[in-house]
Amino acid sequence: MPFAFGMEYLAVAFLGVVIGIIFGAIPGMTATMAVAVFLPLTYAYSMEMALYLLLGLYVGGISGGLVPAILINIPGTPSSVCTTFDGHPMALRGESERALKIGITASFIGGLISLGVLAVFTPVLARWAIKFSAVEKFLIILFAMTVIAALSQGQMLRGIWIGMVGVLISLMNQFPVNNTFRMVPKFLQSEMQGGFQLFPVLIGLFAISQMFEECEKGMRAKYSKEDAYEVSRLKGFKLTRDFKGQGVNVIRSALIGTFAGILPGVGGSAASILAYSQAKSWSKHPELLGTGVPEGLIASETSNNGLTGGALVPLLSLGIPGDSTTAILIGAFMLQGIQVGPLFISSRPFIWNTVLMAMLVCNVIMFLVMFFPIKLVSKIIFIPQERLYPVVLMMCTLGAYATLNGRMFDVWALLLFGIVGYLLKKFHFPVSCFLIGFILGRDLENYFIQAIAAQGGSLIVFFTRPMSWIIWALIAVSIVYAILDNRKSKRVAISK
Amino acid sequence: MAEFLRIRVVHSTQHKIFPTITIWILVILGIIILLLEGRAKAKAGKPLFLKPKSIFVENYDKLKFWGCIALMVAYFSLLDVIGFTVTSILFVYLFNTLFGGLDRLKDKKYHLNSIIISLVSVISISLLFGTVFDITLPDGICTIWIKSLGITIF
Repeated sequence: MPFAFGMEYLAVAFLGVVIGIIFGAIPGMTATMAVAVFLPLTYAYSMEMALYLLLGLYVGGISGGLVPAILINIPGTPSSVCTTFDGHPMALRGESERALKIGITASFIGGLISLGVLAVFTPVLARWAIKFSAVEKFLIILFAMTVIAALSQGQMLRGIWIGMVGVLISLMNQFPVNNTFRMVPKFLQSEMQGGFQLFPVLIGLFAISQMFEECEKGMRAKYSKEDAYEVSRLKGFKLTRDFKGQGVNVIRSALIGTFAGILPGVGGSAASILAYSQAKSWSKHPELLGTGVPEGLIASETSNNGLTGGALVPLLSLGIPGDSTTAILIGAFMLQGIQVGPLFISSRPFIWNTVLMAMLVCNVIMFLVMFFPIKLVSKIIFIPQERLYPVVLMMCTLGAYATLNGRMFDVWALLLFGIVGYLLKKFHFPVSCFLIGFILGRDLENYFIQAIAAQGGSLIVFFTRPMSWIIWALIAVSIVYAILDNRKSKRVAISK
Repeated sequence: MAEFLRIRVVHSTQHKIFPTITIWILVILGIIILLLEGRAKAKAGKPLFLKPKSIFVENYDKLKFWGCIALMVAYFSLLDVIGFTVTSILFVYLFNTLFGGLDRLKDKKYHLNSIIISLVSVISISLLFGTVFDITLPDGICTIWIKSLGITIF
């Protein structure tokens, strides 16, 4: 099983993990942002090198969120929301070092379990997906979009609507089959031949809009040094004691995280909440969860790192990103001219092996970098936002400019989509639905046209193949789930 | 039935098929959302259209928010006039000053740190990407081309 490995790869992975942890540990900055901002660095790298860097950022970014969650009760990334429930009470009792080390160890185990699922599951899914015709590919994307809508909690219709807006915006380009422009103003035709590029849209939606929001709130640190608890060790970390009897919890949470990752559009926060509530309902003493017991902390941190491997499964087997971070990774593959999809593993075994190796290496580095120098790592939360955002903006600008070998149009698109993302959030539209619609829109059209063109324009083709029935059934299930969940969350909202 | 479910796929107009479908879905879904949300509002006894309320959070930081957008527009406008490195050094410093706020305007140490951060971050990134990795960055009047060595400092 050959793969890329060596000192230079280790160094790049180390860099990625450390920067990822910094992004993850600063509230208001996320793993997605870290990967997006550093993507331009990979223009000059080989695919293998790029993978070590980007996966390092991804793993580090998801893991770093536990530090502020435990020390200042603010999740560093959305995916460590539930870490605050038990992690912070432990810190209040003077057990912050123990809590941090439990969290880091749980993250590490979660990462490894999800890596196992990734290695086993992706080839199976890919082998199955090779048989897909344009009809099934179209339906799979449709399914992915209904899943996203299903998870937009009480906002199903708004989720679908804004997802379709994303699709429409992705179609503002020159249609490749008959080279005709659609929905493009005359004066922009030379710039918009390929439509809006993924990076400016993505960085705009996730980084620039976030910066606007922080500006609106005054870009002040949400806490002062007095709020943070020193890393104290009234009760130290002991693997045998703290993880005793947690085997089932660890495996269940890791698998919940991984499968949440496999479903397109489900983010780390959903994974962590799901795993936490499961841990609570299966617990022998549910009343203790939330008061500072390792059980809840382990559930949350295992599941959000479990997500990392899971989100790569649909990306590498179907070419559909599992979450917003893997959506950026698609961009990295495209840059190198590598098509991800059912044929990826069989046609590029070397890169596939490198993905697995890089995931393993990054998880190990994450563990080493965070576990031993934990006192140093905990200082990251004091880096002020106002110092980082200007540098981040400069790097985003550079990345957008370099997207298509240097165009100012993409830089302006960055500002445009920053404002779009900001407004979407203000009017309570789920931004991730818009993004997934934008990413999948062109494929959706492509497969739709292919499917009906082959049948003289008949729409019946979508209902005649047995394999398509299965996907229709899945779509139906996710819509029914969405409607039920929608009602439930509306009831909850009303009763509140 | 079969005829009803048929779409004419013609080479010259097939670029319109999918956008048209998408727009129809948007319109229909949009009406459904308006009706449902309108009904929910009517049930709750709220007026159908609320007064145009400000979209901003209460007491939002006007200076930083609008300042940030204005600085971004200025930054992007000047990038390919002056060149990446010089423009970015200037604007990373200006953004640092803006985000620091009025109360730190006279804080000399803060400004010194801002200058160090902007110089170090921009120069290292510009040299790493533009010069070492040979990625095209915005060039302008301050760009230095050393043809004999094949080096560009944007």
